[in-house]
Amino acid sequence: MSAPSRLSGAEDPCPPLPQEYGPLVAELQSRAAERRQPINGAFELTERCNLACTMCYVRQPSGHAAYHAAELSPAQWLDLARAAIDHGMLFLLLTGGEVFLRPDFFDIYTPLARLGLVLTLFSNGTLITEAIAARLAEAPPSRTEITLYGATAETHEAVTGVPGSYTRAMRGIEALVRHGVPLGLKSTLTRRNVGELEAMRQLAHGLGLSFTAGHLLFGRRDGAPPSLGDCRLSAAQCVKLEATDLVADDERVDVALHRESLGNNGIFYCYAGKATFRVNSCGEMSPCVHLVQPAARPLSMGFTAAWEEVQRFVDDASSLSSPCLTCDVRGYCARCPAWSARETGTLTEPIPYLCTIARARQERYERRA
Amino acid sequence: MSFDPAAIRRQDDFVLQNVAGEHLLVPIGAQVMDLNGIIILNETGAYLWEVLAQERSLDELAAAVADEFDVEPDAARADVQAFLDEIAQIGLLV
Repeated sequence: MSAPSRLSGAEDPCPPLPQEYGPLVAELQSRAAERRQPINGAFELTERCNLACTMCYVRQPSGHAAYHAAELSPAQWLDLARAAIDHGMLFLLLTGGEVFLRPDFFDIYTPLARLGLVLTLFSNGTLITEAIAARLAEAPPSRTEITLYGATAETHEAVTGVPGSYTRAMRGIEALVRHGVPLGLKSTLTRRNVGELEAMRQLAHGLGLSFTAGHLLFGRRDGAPPSLGDCRLSAAQCVKLEATDLVADDERVDVALHRESLGNNGIFYCYAGKATFRVNSCGEMSPCVHLVQPAARPLSMGFTAAWEEVQRFVDDASSLSSPCLTCDVRGYCARCPAWSARETGTLTEPIPYLCTIARARQERYERRA
Repeated sequence: MSFDPAAIRRQDDFVLQNVAGEHLLVPIGAQVMDLNGIIILNETGAYLWEVLAQERSLDELAAAVADEFDVEPDAARADVQAFLDEIAQIGLLV
């Protein structure tokens, strides 16, 4: 039996929820949001990466001294984790940048893994050695996700910009498999690698691993020119991909989520700032990985005050009006405040690229109906 | 019965969390390899889990539950037995 596949609507949209727990997780998420408990956390241990993918939303050079110097210490990450657990955090994503660029990664990870969290780890795999895989296996995360950028070295490295990165990623993946670390592969689809989607899926399944792929690319968070024009798939390509049987389940979930949001006029329809938060590498808290506001500082103001500030940011947005709220293709659209913030500087304005995709989806689904 | 009724103790590789109103047992360490999931406990189960931090006998556990939850000793013993059978089966006892 092959491992499951899914194609998610967005690139690394939010801290992933362990799907295998099914209804229990959904119920916990919902209850946590009602109680405003931050059950989902994401710690961006570094914004630095050893790859140079043009489309990545968070990518600073691995040797960037200023970003390196501003990164929280292991003790600070652990203080944050303990405080978040006191407030109800159960699911924690460790991400970057590339987390294994930090030589002190295990000074953070090992104590964290004793705290009773459901941990997820994102990596590009290129720095994972046999020794790192063995050490992870001593106290593995519930899930590790490694991103493939192609099924061949040529394509993978055309996206990452780093010769040798495909072989190193595959070595890292194989080491994790050998040591039994829970692992799934995923891809961020661009015009360069979309032609290898099926080959990547088969590669993953050949290793007994699940595979997911995101195809809606967020702009960069640091305001640098996004260079996404050359990377983003066309609306027609997106709709064609979403129409494959392998993505049907996820597409239904996506549509259901947006349909549900039609019942309320909230700007934020997900759990961001209600049950979800993210802390960036220098200790600023926001509702999700794609939003930088309000940049609350839990280490100086206290976790309680920072979490309240994040909730206020989300709650205050509920009074905003948005042309998207009355749009007839809202149920087909992936826009959220994070998308708008990145591309328009507001929380509410439409994203022309997503409008085009939503119209194309409407055309496909309503014409068929 | 897959445990010794005179000497019962829990595995240490789990952390009891109270999240969103639920008592949850989360595996840690290498235990994640064997049980990659979360276990929900009810009030009695969470109480017993705390008590089982130290070695106890079935009689002690039944008496503790009868006292804590104000139930008849026979009913408490049956409940404790059922709980222990269940968690022993999934490897939560030493």
